[in-house]
Amino acid sequence: MTPDLVVTTTIGATPEEVFPYLVQPDLLLRWMGTWVDIDPQPGGTFAVDLGETQVRGTYVEVDPPHRVVFTWGIPGNEQMPAGSSTVEIVLRPEDDGTAVELTHRDLPVERLADHEKGWKNLLGILDSELRD
Amino acid sequence: MLRLVRNQELAAGQIAAHFPITQQAVSQHLRVLERSGLVAERREGTRRLYLLRPDALGPVRALLEDLWPDALDRLKHIVEEDKRRRS
Repeated sequence: MTPDLVVTTTIGATPEEVFPYLVQPDLLLRWMGTWVDIDPQPGGTFAVDLGETQVRGTYVEVDPPHRVVFTWGIPGNEQMPAGSSTVEIVLRPEDDGTAVELTHRDLPVERLADHEKGWKNLLGILDSELRD
Repeated sequence: MLRLVRNQELAAGQIAAHFPITQQAVSQHLRVLERSGLVAERREGTRRLYLLRPDALGPVRALLEDLWPDALDRLKHIVEEDKRRRS
């Protein structure tokens, strides 16, 4: 597995004000995607088109106004099939707003493994050079 | 090394100049990278030129690393703008 992708921001509004933008189709569409079809309850559909990329998954947890978890994938994509990775969005109240932390888990390994192998190989070469 | 050849094609010797190891060691490493599909190799006369393959460094992750910060930034601005309009 590659490391989780974590992105944070702070929004000048309460968690109660932010949460609807995560679970109401018309509000979600304003910041994510070009088409949205969602049923925000555990087991419900999460379907968003990002231009020509279709993202498909299922809601895992909907806990207003604190947390939303849904799966995320691209149908037909070998590296990241529908529902294969997980997105968690956590809202925490702060003095002047809401801290938003988005974590994207279970990302595909892709070719990073090859990359690492390349570096290990180089270190091996360097090691043998130094021994000569 | 990959960063060096991300946007420009470089010869093995030019790449080696950036590393405190022999050109031979760099060439061996470049061959490893080429075999694993991370860089493309092209010959021009006696020189071998290397360029990072655009699809090499994990297209899905790269896409998401661009997508999420942009998306959260839009979320922030839309929520804050809506709140200002209401007040």
